[in-house]
Amino acid sequence: MEYAFFLGCTIPLKLPFLEKAFRDVASILDVKLKEMEGVGCCPEPVAMQSLNIDTWVALGARNLVIAERMGLDIMTICSGCYETLKTVSVLLAEDKEYLKKINGILNKINYNYTGKTKVYHFVELFSQPEWLDKIKKLVVKPLDDLNLAVHYGCHLIRPSKIMKFDHPERPEKIDIILEALGAKTVEYATKLECCGYCARLQEEIGENLVEEKMTELCELEEGVDALIAVCPACTTQYDRKEKIIARRTGKELDIPVLYLAEIMAIALGVELEDLSLNNRSVKPNKLINKLTT
Amino acid sequence: MTQMLKKNANDLYKDFRYEISKKVGAKSLLKCIQCGVCSSGCTVTEYVDLQPHRVVASCLLGLKEEVLSSNAIWTCSLCHRCTERCPKNVDYSFILALLRNMAVKEGKIPKEYSISVVTIYNNGFVVPYTGGLKDNIDRRRTRMGLPQIVPPKLEEIQFIIKETGLGGLVEEEEEK
Repeated sequence: MEYAFFLGCTIPLKLPFLEKAFRDVASILDVKLKEMEGVGCCPEPVAMQSLNIDTWVALGARNLVIAERMGLDIMTICSGCYETLKTVSVLLAEDKEYLKKINGILNKINYNYTGKTKVYHFVELFSQPEWLDKIKKLVVKPLDDLNLAVHYGCHLIRPSKIMKFDHPERPEKIDIILEALGAKTVEYATKLECCGYCARLQEEIGENLVEEKMTELCELEEGVDALIAVCPACTTQYDRKEKIIARRTGKELDIPVLYLAEIMAIALGVELEDLSLNNRSVKPNKLINKLTT
Repeated sequence: MTQMLKKNANDLYKDFRYEISKKVGAKSLLKCIQCGVCSSGCTVTEYVDLQPHRVVASCLLGLKEEVLSSNAIWTCSLCHRCTERCPKNVDYSFILALLRNMAVKEGKIPKEYSISVVTIYNNGFVVPYTGGLKDNIDRRRTRMGLPQIVPPKLEEIQFIIKETGLGGLVEEEEEK
């Protein structure tokens, strides 16, 4: 299997250790990734869509054309990139007049979008039955002792009429990947709450949402070893704000936040020293102890 | 609490509903039955001056100025729960993006948002990647054994930004 690898901005430029974890996982699972020449920002769905929908769609379509020219489907590793590229492809497939307008812009730089390329997030691929079987066979360090909480985030699953990815109110795709690695996942009330990163104008919105989720997870009887996210914005939002809130309120909030590819890499045999698990505000010391004893 | 607003029927901008609903994807505005499901599931409902169902009601009434200068339209995190749950399939989060586009045309735009297009215009990425910052990022990636970043085709990205009408905004922001 070969994909045009759409890296985006935040992961490769700010959190390259997440990219490293994903590349390790892809290599173990024999997913081939081809670098994309000349792509830029997806572009970022919240601000760009807000400023000008046409700019957002035209820049997104330009990225899609680059994959079309490679003759490959796109693999994304960020929920923002996934939302933008998938939404652009759905909008342009459903509205031929709009496609004509966008191609009118793209043609001036010798691009033409035809809609041949499919857009994937790696969760979408790895949660398919044949991939789950493959993952189960390749696990060398089963996560039997771990209780993990999943954070789906908003842009991976909604709006479901566009994303067509998972159930918008009862998603399960990340849970089943973690179960294939041997871990148990916990059910909790605030599972589907937004991380608040994209509510940019009021800092307190994000802080209150993070406090609510982390407090609930810390109080769960089964004991949560880590929160697992698939989006760089959610991952850093929970990690950084959890620490700030713990300091401000005196609450003992100490649940580490891991990106899905990191926990997959651990189970698939990547050495802990080859990952950068300490590269975050809340250090996963307890988790590392559990994994090494 | 929001202040009581008194306005004469003649002062309402009655075509506002059609200005929105003629846009692709926003026809659904006219189907709203004011049930309030959007507002009850809204991530930011307690932080806004107008809750989602009241934004829609205001659009339908023609309160253009009030809607476009409300904090509600820029506070939303675009979590899409409103759109997901609406029993009449009103695509509120898309309508909200359109309202933001309209506010931008009137120059009402928070800097937390305008900064993104300036960064993309200058870097191709929404993260600064020039000069010393670029060198640091490149060194870090090499240390980790990751491939070099393939440079974005900046002139194409800049062309699209200008061609779709955001060139003026980029210039204004850079002059500040």
